[in-house]
Amino acid sequence: MTSLDRWLELATCHLAKESAAQVGMEIRDHHESERQTAMRRGATAEEADRLALTALGDARTANRQYRRVMLTSAEAGMLRGSRREAQAVCSRPWLKWLLLTAPLAAALAAAVFFYNGAVVAARASLLAGVAAGVFFSLPLLPIYTPSRAKAYRVAKWATLIVLPALAFGRDALTYSWLLASCLWIPLWTEWTRVSIRRKLPEARWPRHLYL
Amino acid sequence: MNFRGTLPTLILQALAHEPSHGYSIAQKIKAQSKGLLDFKEGTLYPALHKLENDGLVESYEEVEKGRTRRYYRITKSGRTALGRDRAEWRELSRAVSMMLEEA
Repeated sequence: MTSLDRWLELATCHLAKESAAQVGMEIRDHHESERQTAMRRGATAEEADRLALTALGDARTANRQYRRVMLTSAEAGMLRGSRREAQAVCSRPWLKWLLLTAPLAAALAAAVFFYNGAVVAARASLLAGVAAGVFFSLPLLPIYTPSRAKAYRVAKWATLIVLPALAFGRDALTYSWLLASCLWIPLWTEWTRVSIRRKLPEARWPRHLYL
Repeated sequence: MNFRGTLPTLILQALAHEPSHGYSIAQKIKAQSKGLLDFKEGTLYPALHKLENDGLVESYEEVEKGRTRRYYRITKSGRTALGRDRAEWRELSRAVSMMLEEA
């Protein structure tokens, strides 16, 4: 392993494969140009190699900066997972329509419960129907622009926070620890998506990244 | 010389006249500042990728003497940002000069 390979290994640590390949290509090209310039000025091959590597600076500092602007392996993994989920739903029209019937079924159940005097069950069904409506109607919503996506995300987070609070009613504060721990995973996912949106130019956003 | 925070502006300026690859950008910055602005070149590429994510530069690959090189060129919004940065820098520089001359 050469010194440049070691430098690249440190600089691309935790980066996605595609990001690491791009960094590798650019840095190798840069290093070679620097090396050739040094040799034209009379340096020996070893001196030129050392000078070119010194010019690159600290690999760990570069790695911190790369991770701020390029996709990490965790982010690339999340993008792949979301793409698989989106494909699974969008490639099966029957599944899309089945998901869409869920909010209607929940609303119908709420009406039946209410008619039979089961108010608590009716309320839970209605709230489940609203939540299902917000999440399961996604394949049909025309969300292709950042402003529409922002509006959808506000609606999504309002649903995630307000509905459980309404479902628990007066006990919402008592069970706040449970609500907070349930929200931890969607929060982490949202945070990662914010980071991915910052790192990818808008033209390269897959549709599921808007959500 | 410490020029933290101004590297994106210097990159945009280096790309203002023609597309360049990373090494050439680094050399232009060093040459035009007569070696005063010396920086670790490993930090140039993250700055270039940030500019690309922000839509201020765009990149393309070209094969040159058998080597695949990534070239960067400034976009229309990049030129607008460069104009704004230049104006801000002149203002700041004028204000600091006035303060220092007064002292």
